[in-house]
Amino acid sequence: MFNLKPSIDVLVKSSIRSILKNKSRTILTSLGIIIGVTSVILLTSIGNGLKVYINQQFESLGANTIFVSPGKIFNDKGGFNSQSGASRFIATTFSLTDVAELKRAIRGVTIVPVAASAVDIKSSKTTKTNSSIVGTTYQYGASANYVPSNGNGRWFTKDEEDKKADVVVLGNGIANDLFPTGSALGKRIIIKSKNMKVVGVIDKKGSSFGGPDVDQYAFVPIGIVFEFNGNQNVNQMLIKTSNKDLVAQTKIDVTKFFLKKFDKDAFTVFDSSQLLSSINSIISTLTIGLAGIAAISLVVGGIGIMNIMLVTVSERTKEIGLRKAIGAYPRAILVQFLIEAIILSCLGGGVGIILGWLGSLAINNFFPAQVTFSSVAIAFGVSAAVGIIFGVAPASKASKLSPIEALRYE
Amino acid sequence: MIKSPSSKNKPGNVVLELRQVVKTYTSGNTTFNALNGVSLQIREGEFVSITGPSGSGKSTLMHIIGLLDTPTSGDVLLQDRNISRLNETQLAQIRNVTLGFVFQQFNLLAKTSALENVELPLIYSDVPRSKHDSLGIEMLTKVGLQDKLRNTPAQLSGGQQQRVAIARALINDPKIILADEPTGNLDSKSGKDVMELFHHLNEVEKRTIVLVTHDMDLARQANRIIIIKDGQINIENV
Repeated sequence: MFNLKPSIDVLVKSSIRSILKNKSRTILTSLGIIIGVTSVILLTSIGNGLKVYINQQFESLGANTIFVSPGKIFNDKGGFNSQSGASRFIATTFSLTDVAELKRAIRGVTIVPVAASAVDIKSSKTTKTNSSIVGTTYQYGASANYVPSNGNGRWFTKDEEDKKADVVVLGNGIANDLFPTGSALGKRIIIKSKNMKVVGVIDKKGSSFGGPDVDQYAFVPIGIVFEFNGNQNVNQMLIKTSNKDLVAQTKIDVTKFFLKKFDKDAFTVFDSSQLLSSINSIISTLTIGLAGIAAISLVVGGIGIMNIMLVTVSERTKEIGLRKAIGAYPRAILVQFLIEAIILSCLGGGVGIILGWLGSLAINNFFPAQVTFSSVAIAFGVSAAVGIIFGVAPASKASKLSPIEALRYE
Repeated sequence: MIKSPSSKNKPGNVVLELRQVVKTYTSGNTTFNALNGVSLQIREGEFVSITGPSGSGKSTLMHIIGLLDTPTSGDVLLQDRNISRLNETQLAQIRNVTLGFVFQQFNLLAKTSALENVELPLIYSDVPRSKHDSLGIEMLTKVGLQDKLRNTPAQLSGGQQQRVAIARALINDPKIILADEPTGNLDSKSGKDVMELFHHLNEVEKRTIVLVTHDMDLARQANRIIIIKDGQINIENV
């Protein structure tokens, strides 16, 4: 192994000193790296924050929930099927017979059918046109974690479901829209000329970024939606197992059951983890793409460092000549200037990490953002690598200077 | 008149020997022999000056003696070891432990204290770090700057800066001190002080000194003068 003289700490100390001699130049040189690292950190923190947020949303759905939907939702690689929405969801619907047969085939689980419609909803104050109403069973509230909290009413009962009672449970958003002042609880609303009583208001759930906004939903007994739609089509089934470990086997059983009735592309059986991993893979791809674009500025920053290091080398030609005359061998000079470039870029990287972190704290006020250790580590590693890559050329130029020429240089 | 060697200064063994050294520079199709068969010996404890008009090959000879350059042909022997074919790294390591350079321009690092300037050669040596400061202070004391340890070159006069450079040349206990026009940038008083320091180092500390100068008066202060002209030794005055 090559015995490096002087030792690294001596080189680092002298590099820091020469960097500090030119403070404004150092700041300007590092600016490219600072901007690059800041944007990489910010963008990855937004991507990560989004992921964490969505994961939390799904967790609230419960890990022991299985969904059965018409159409093919996932492609073979686990991503979302890219066929148009219409062919995906409308291809097949389930019937109440399917639900009943499934209930007989699979025991020990809660099976909740869902039928949806879009209608106008009127309150005494205002009208919401084309609102989503979801017809479902008395078990849905508990299965999907939508049971209103204390003081906000209740989900509808089995009795009300069976009798197609005129009761409705409103999402938090639509409740506020219909009754901007005061509580919607106990008030009456008109849905398609049906006069219905608000028996519950669900706590705020928040929109899942482009996904269905539960806060804007109105939930009614399923028979009412069948009446509105003029058919008994079921759009989706929710299957709740008693615990998480039964999810895998239940999925297999449910799939077997439906394969007897439908083509394999006509329906999809999935659980929230599957949905989640698909969404996560999309967010990850997006984050990597955005961070990659931001990383272009790191390359620009690296070129800035190379530029200033070349200037430094010619400014310090005499110093290099002297060091060589008194015993610095080429590699000692190479390492000295390389360390200077690395310190410059790491300095930029460090400042960029701090700025990115502060920025993500600020963003967090209105958008989920979370800085991860790995993004910090990668950003720092990349800036060190930029220092090495763009520092080699100037450092090697310095190390190849002839001491005689260098000492003569004016 | 050329000063005769003082009786107390008896030259010892040969430190550096040049044998038929030729240095050729090529530019396009033309070649130019800067040195054309130079042979000389430098002995321990000598104070030798090398002089000659500009373009005579004086600088090239200094670079060969200073191990900053290698000859096109001929041999350079340092303490009987032939070093004319060594690579840059090996030469740098030999320079580090055997030579002390003093330049016309001082060549001190700016914004760096006198002590750190003096210690600079040691960071490329095997001398343990714990000894650097004590050696640096010892050398600065030797040149009379023990109260200027923390001063940067900008805070020192020209004469003081050159004395820092001499302290730096001494710190590795070199076999040869090579001084290239060391008084060229100094006023006459400071120049005289620097020359006195060289005499002291030669006479009292028995240092071997090679002084390169175009100034004949300065050259005469040495024990021996080598006059070079057209790439050859013209007169060697022992």
